[in-house]
Amino acid sequence: MLEVKNLVTSFGSVVALDGVSFTAQESKITTVIGANGAGKSTLLRTISGLENPNSGSITWSGKSLIGMRAEDIVRAGIAHVPEGHAVISELSVEENIAMGSLFRRRKFKSDVAAAHDEMYELFPRLKERRKQLAGTLSGGERQMLAISRALVSRPQLLLLDEPSLGLAPLVVEQIIDSINTLCRSTGLTVLLVEQNANTALGVADHGVLLALGKVVADRPAAELKADANLRAAYLGY
Amino acid sequence: METFLAALFSGTSRGAVFALVALGLVIVWRGAGIVNFAQMGQAMFSTYIASTLITNGNSYWVGFVVAIVVGAAMGALLDTLIMRPLSNKKKTELLSSESMRAAVPVIASLGILGALQALAGIIWAAEERGFPAPYPQEGFSVAGNVMPFTSFDLFVISVVLATLLATTLFFKKTGVGLAMRATALNSEVARLSGIRTNFTRSLSWAFSGAASSLAGLLITPTSNLSPNTLDLVLIVGFTAAVVGGLDSPAGAVIGGFLVGMVISFVSFYDTPEDVFLSILGVLLLVLIIRPRGILGAKDARRV
Repeated sequence: MLEVKNLVTSFGSVVALDGVSFTAQESKITTVIGANGAGKSTLLRTISGLENPNSGSITWSGKSLIGMRAEDIVRAGIAHVPEGHAVISELSVEENIAMGSLFRRRKFKSDVAAAHDEMYELFPRLKERRKQLAGTLSGGERQMLAISRALVSRPQLLLLDEPSLGLAPLVVEQIIDSINTLCRSTGLTVLLVEQNANTALGVADHGVLLALGKVVADRPAAELKADANLRAAYLGY
Repeated sequence: METFLAALFSGTSRGAVFALVALGLVIVWRGAGIVNFAQMGQAMFSTYIASTLITNGNSYWVGFVVAIVVGAAMGALLDTLIMRPLSNKKKTELLSSESMRAAVPVIASLGILGALQALAGIIWAAEERGFPAPYPQEGFSVAGNVMPFTSFDLFVISVVLATLLATTLFFKKTGVGLAMRATALNSEVARLSGIRTNFTRSLSWAFSGAASSLAGLLITPTSNLSPNTLDLVLIVGFTAAVVGGLDSPAGAVIGGFLVGMVISFVSFYDTPEDVFLSILGVLLLVLIIRPRGILGAKDARRV
């Protein structure tokens, strides 16, 4: 279980997270939704160690993540796919995937190879393009690659930041489906940040609504989806 | 024809050394975003250590290996002790602006250069001394004619080519090489992949230190050794790196050989006094035609 309590993260005088608390249950998809600037990305970046919080606590399976470096948080089983199809364009598809499993390559040699094959099974289009530079891929393929890069580290918790950003609806559906299948079949815990609330709530078990750095709703996804008032007030549709 | 061959050979051998210097600069630039002006100061220092070892009766090869190891260690140490703490102080007032953050490590590298030169002057005295070559520096004789090419030149070229080949294989084929490339290209994504970027960055410094120490060892037999002799080598190496495109290792090598050729042909056909003018000319020409260097990355970045 991921437990976030009273988390405050600020950049200078700008408070991006203003006392955020919520929990994400194991083997479930929890989505964090909210308008632009609500603090969704900052939340994920603070959990994965890219930003240092001013105060508050973050624990995963009872272990505190505060003060840990991003590279060690990955090694502890929490993989983050940041916003904007974060892959390294100058490296090949294969190298991008290999990058995510570098730290496991000695201890778990055979599993690393298996993990690579699984990624190509999950996203066959990456297999066809494995020698190509990541920069030559389409947006959707790059998002698949970014997710693969995170998944080969064999995480227990996957932090996904706006996987739908700038992608065609059909591709979004495909990516969300893959994540959903993966979560249900392997017990992966997913924390999905989305601006596209409809899609996210459609697949998630639980929803957290953020506005201006504060949690305004924390409920089962179906309930959140049905609440017309909240939608109108915070999501604008 | 003889002058042409002589210029060609000497250009290849000088170019090889400049390629090494430029490669050292490019690797630190890519890995840490710093132009390391102390690089040839580090090389000077480790060459002095080799020189001391050799004059005290050790073999050339002992000095050679020790200098390269010292060069690598010095590079890693400068990063861990000076550069990393400097760039981590992001929230202090001094480093609040982007430009200061970029400038401070560069100024620090100039400071390190000064300190190393002063220290070398104190330890070894500031006068010039010779540095031995492992192979004779006289031209080969073919059928009574002395060729403009020495066994030492051959040594320089083969050592540099072997180093370049090994470097390429290391970066392309090993996990650590991939981790170093990833860190250089996008350190955030690298960290999120579990790569310990502090470590890989220090490794880049160590690598660059070793490469420039090798360059120091290869150039001092012809230039002599003093605390300041390698200053010009840094300037030429930096020009080579910029000409090649500061962020491209392959460009650094091309730039190095190009600049070596220009220097050699100008000093054979014109006069050695015009060498720096000609390098400046090449630099200007490249900057006007291809501002990012021969193999430099395009300015466009995806957002």
